[in-house]
Amino acid sequence: MNLEKVVFGFFVVLAATLNFGFFIGDISRPELHNQYELYAAVVVNLIATVLKFGDRTQIGAVHLATSLVADLQLIGAASMWVYAEHISSAGLTAGWTASIVSLAGGALVANMVSVVLLVVETTSSHRG
Amino acid sequence: MTTRLRALWHDLVPRDERRGRRAALRLSASSTARSAEAIFLVLRRMRTPLIALIVVFAVSTLGLTLIPGQDADGNPARMSFFDAFYVISYTATTIGFGEIPNPFTYGQRLWVTFSIYLSVIGWAYAIGSLLALLRDRAFRAALARQHFTRKVARLREPFVLIAGYGRTGELLGRSIDRLGRRFVVVDLASERIEDLELDSYTADVPGLTGDARDPGNLAVAGLDHPSCAAVVALTDDEEANLAVVMAAALLRPDLPVIARVTSPVIAERMRAFGDPSTVNPLDRFGDHLRLALRAPAAYQLLTWLEAGPGADLPDRGSPPRNGHWVVVGYGRLGRELTRDLRAEGLAVTVIDPGADDPDAAADSDLVVGDGSDPAVLGDVDLEHAVGFLASTDNDTTNLSLVAAARRINPELFVGARQNSAANAPLFTAMELDALLVPAEVIAHEVYAQLSTPLLWRFLRHLPSEDDGWAAEVLGRLVGLCGTRLQTLWKVRLTPQEAPAVQGWLATGGARLGDLLRNPEDRDVALHAVPLLVLRGDEATAAPGEDFVLAPGDELLLAGWSAAERALTTMLEVEAVHEYVLTGRRVPASWIWRKLTPADRG
Repeated sequence: MNLEKVVFGFFVVLAATLNFGFFIGDISRPELHNQYELYAAVVVNLIATVLKFGDRTQIGAVHLATSLVADLQLIGAASMWVYAEHISSAGLTAGWTASIVSLAGGALVANMVSVVLLVVETTSSHRG
Repeated sequence: MTTRLRALWHDLVPRDERRGRRAALRLSASSTARSAEAIFLVLRRMRTPLIALIVVFAVSTLGLTLIPGQDADGNPARMSFFDAFYVISYTATTIGFGEIPNPFTYGQRLWVTFSIYLSVIGWAYAIGSLLALLRDRAFRAALARQHFTRKVARLREPFVLIAGYGRTGELLGRSIDRLGRRFVVVDLASERIEDLELDSYTADVPGLTGDARDPGNLAVAGLDHPSCAAVVALTDDEEANLAVVMAAALLRPDLPVIARVTSPVIAERMRAFGDPSTVNPLDRFGDHLRLALRAPAAYQLLTWLEAGPGADLPDRGSPPRNGHWVVVGYGRLGRELTRDLRAEGLAVTVIDPGADDPDAAADSDLVVGDGSDPAVLGDVDLEHAVGFLASTDNDTTNLSLVAAARRINPELFVGARQNSAANAPLFTAMELDALLVPAEVIAHEVYAQLSTPLLWRFLRHLPSEDDGWAAEVLGRLVGLCGTRLQTLWKVRLTPQEAPAVQGWLATGGARLGDLLRNPEDRDVALHAVPLLVLRGDEATAAPGEDFVLAPGDELLLAGWSAAERALTTMLEVEAVHEYVLTGRRVPASWIWRKLTPADRG
């Protein structure tokens, strides 16, 4: 067992699960989507991205790409939340919530790809 | 489909070339991958500091949103994520805008105090790691390599790849630079590569610190570059030179390779790979000595032309033809010299301290003893000798030997071997009749081979001519161009390079003397001497005025650079050529040419 692999797997899976947790629930109801969960998803995704830095293999490159996509979408979602709450006169409406959650949904797909890659990588590596 | 394509490929590209290309492609791919290492190195080393920074920010921001605060009216109000992130951002970067949106409660202040210290540590760690990385040797080497790769890849003109940049490489580099050509250097020692930047070359010289035995390094240095014109192996390690020759012969069979070599065994091994040109300084010095013995003027001409542009006419030495010679040191050089002297029919006595060598023991004229011992020098009858050669590999010994020999017999012709460049002033002060500096011999030889193939041909032809001939050529050169060698250049009388003279050449009466006239005043000869005319594979050395030129001839000329320009104009502009040939000024422009006959009529 390799501690580095444990940490790597932990963050990749945690990024996906947090993202999923935020995403689940009726898309337009703000009370079903916790802002702390979005925050945690952003932070964990950033950490997962940095963990993927400097891997020169092909699968490492795709890993990094998916993480960057997820970051982009989640930061977009967080920015929208800030806009809706502080700048928009209407506040956090059902429409804004739907936009935020759909962005997070996009990030979820990227995170899922990441998890699939992780699983593929694990099963294809020889035990030893 | 694939097979048909492959067959086509086979038809189009010869097998050797294909093999070379594939290998070159693979090499360049692997070397690019290695060059990209610098950025991966940064990313990998910065992982932990970046994660630490993210965690610090995340914890600080989260804490600030969780700690209860109050608004201006005293109602409990928590900070939003955005407010918290904003506050932490400016606090962590020590900008500090104050407490917004509302003055902080004591709980919040406590947390911000904690965050300040946490973030300072986070930043210090991240920036410290980055700075340490920038000063890291491996990182700098990777960066320098990347820089070098880019510089070489951008070269668009032909260049020479020099492996080994010692004294020889430096001398050669300077000659190549003076010719206006580019070169790339690979050397093991980083100081020598750093010296490159201090050297005053006209063109930028890319240098790589690395082992020339590694084909990857050679590839980065441009072995697979289409503009690479030649490879020169000049390291002081014979094996490394062999490795360079091998790599060049296998990956770029089309390139000329020149290698420095002192051992005949290595030279033989090199010859197994294509036909590299090997330069053996000891061997070459022996040849030069023989030439100097037989034809002093030819030797003088040879050394002058080999020294390259800007060289002053060397003195004509006159080694004694008859008499007894003494050689001290029976190493590789001593052996070579003894053999050459004996081949010229001279009696030679050798002094060497080691007699355990069976080869040496077989020599009847060998005196065993330390040459620097006065008693031993007395034994060999120096008073009646004519020549003395100090060929040990120790400069101090050589110098003291020369001094001792001169004291015994001041009339001696004295030669010595100079091993270290640092001792050059001492050897110059001794005013020796012949001096062997291996580095210079190699540099001159390689220069002669690289500058133009015609010069190389001319120099190889020299020993076969007699001394009177060489003295005559030398006299013409000095008479026309002075005692300083200006430029050597090549002229091709092809329709592309000499369009103006094609008609004249075709008449069959094109005398060389008629061409070499000053375009300003045709009664004055051009300050240039033709050294060689190459027609097909047949070369004529130092052709006279009556030599008849033919289309397609290649000429090697020595002379002033003004003469080079004048000759180029003559070969390209018909009006100028017409004047030189007939003395008639012909209008050069179309309009005037149309008008001139009308005027006459």
